[in-house]
Amino acid sequence: MMAINCPTPASLQEYLWKHELPNRLQKPQPPSPEKIIRYGAIIGSVIHCHSSMGRTMDQARQHIINLEEAGSSAASGTVILADTLMHSKGRFSRTWHAPTGGLWGCVILANTFMPRARTLLPLTLGVACCEAVRDLGAQNAYVRWVNDVMVSGQKLGGFLVESFCTPRYGEEYHLLGFGININNNCFPDTLTNMAVSLSHTLGHPVNLLDFTLSFLAKMTWNIGLLCYEEEQDLHSDYSWENLEGQKDHLLLEQWKNLSDTLGRRVLYGYDIQKKPQYEAKVTGIRQDGAIIMRLDDGNQIVEHSGELQYL
Amino acid sequence: MTDEIDFDAILGKYHSDPYDYVEICATHTGRVSFKVAEGSNVNSPSGEWLHIPGSPLFEITRERNPKLVTAKTNGTISSVRTELEGQFVEAGERLLTIRHPLKKKEVIEGILKKVLYLFPAPERAKYFFSLDIQSRIEKNGAKALTVKPGDEIIIMSLMKRDTPIYYTGETGVIHSIYFTPGASVDQGQPLIGICASDKLPLIQKIITRVKADWDKLIEPAHLED
Repeated sequence: MMAINCPTPASLQEYLWKHELPNRLQKPQPPSPEKIIRYGAIIGSVIHCHSSMGRTMDQARQHIINLEEAGSSAASGTVILADTLMHSKGRFSRTWHAPTGGLWGCVILANTFMPRARTLLPLTLGVACCEAVRDLGAQNAYVRWVNDVMVSGQKLGGFLVESFCTPRYGEEYHLLGFGININNNCFPDTLTNMAVSLSHTLGHPVNLLDFTLSFLAKMTWNIGLLCYEEEQDLHSDYSWENLEGQKDHLLLEQWKNLSDTLGRRVLYGYDIQKKPQYEAKVTGIRQDGAIIMRLDDGNQIVEHSGELQYL
Repeated sequence: MTDEIDFDAILGKYHSDPYDYVEICATHTGRVSFKVAEGSNVNSPSGEWLHIPGSPLFEITRERNPKLVTAKTNGTISSVRTELEGQFVEAGERLLTIRHPLKKKEVIEGILKKVLYLFPAPERAKYFFSLDIQSRIEKNGAKALTVKPGDEIIIMSLMKRDTPIYYTGETGVIHSIYFTPGASVDQGQPLIGICASDKLPLIQKIITRVKADWDKLIEPAHLED
């Protein structure tokens, strides 16, 4: 069965230079937008489109292993898409409903990043998704730390990053999984009040192929930002151990523009559904992406991982 | 790991000096300003989430960016390199030492750490057992679980990036678990302690011996479980 949502590397390249770059140039940008796009242009250099599969992350791992066994290696930036997923899941084995109409997939990236970029990598997904949905008019979409994209308290896009080490040669990859509710408007009862689709938010159907190109173009930009900042770090007196006080990373700057987390009163938990831990007020985000919160007793706490629920 | 352990020598060491001496070094280059003097008592982090910082030890300033370093362990300051006050120091320079009174559990762990293979945390992150390992631990207990090199045993979670950690030490059973799921672990700190299954009786012997000798080992003023 042929896949419905089937962008090509060529169509993505065309979108990047005809739409994404001119859009970026209209806004205040870092000095080298073309350079940033070139840095990120590995995204979508190979695109595999499927009508249905279990999980794209599993497919990505198998793809990498198959290539290694054949004496080759996976192209960094390979995108795997599926119209529908049969065994999709979120973190901690939570269910994720992935019928046709949504954007489900993953990006394979070779682990060539330095520690700071590697830590900020999960932010690229939330920022790219939020930028893409806002471009279509959903100005009420925000990023909730770390990278959930929310509309009026309901999740529109969910993301997770899994690292993977190949069995034979030990090559390291990051698998960037994404699930974005686009035209899939029906959710199981358990998710009805928790999830929302972009078409429901906008009040009209969305062209899935166009959205996919836009999202991948924004992933290109944000991965490019990570690489661009790495280059800047290498030319400066960069210290991973002492980032505070340095200027904002460009990706963090954009995350702040798109997020409504700062200043919020939240419930924090490592696995918030199973074990919520404490209430606090978010007071900031550190240069390594960690969230800074103030507890009711006035003390500050910093978390590098976990989940938030707005109160 | 050796079968021969000189219990008398080890316990004698703890008897004569039941303290751990924790050296505190400069976290990075910078100008140092001490907040403690020799003999000061310092507290470790406290609060339900260990969110209340320990006692201030020193401030280190690099490029007009001051960083206050606080105690991670309780005890008494046994030495301070006061000659470095206001001076620029290199990363890793020893600045002061905390004399930490050991508890029974810490003495046991201290001895066990010498005989177990310790599997360290690769980065500061949160850790949890992989689903398969977790379910086997819940079913049969950690000591019934044999791990071997290449096994995916732990997931490292940092900024919603989950990385499987593959075991690289000698084959054995998980004797000690040093992390709590959901709590941050510093880079290099042990996550689990592994021993060969045939060495388990020896490990048990250590624990029994320390527990039996504890009252004799430690002076009453120092007694703490």
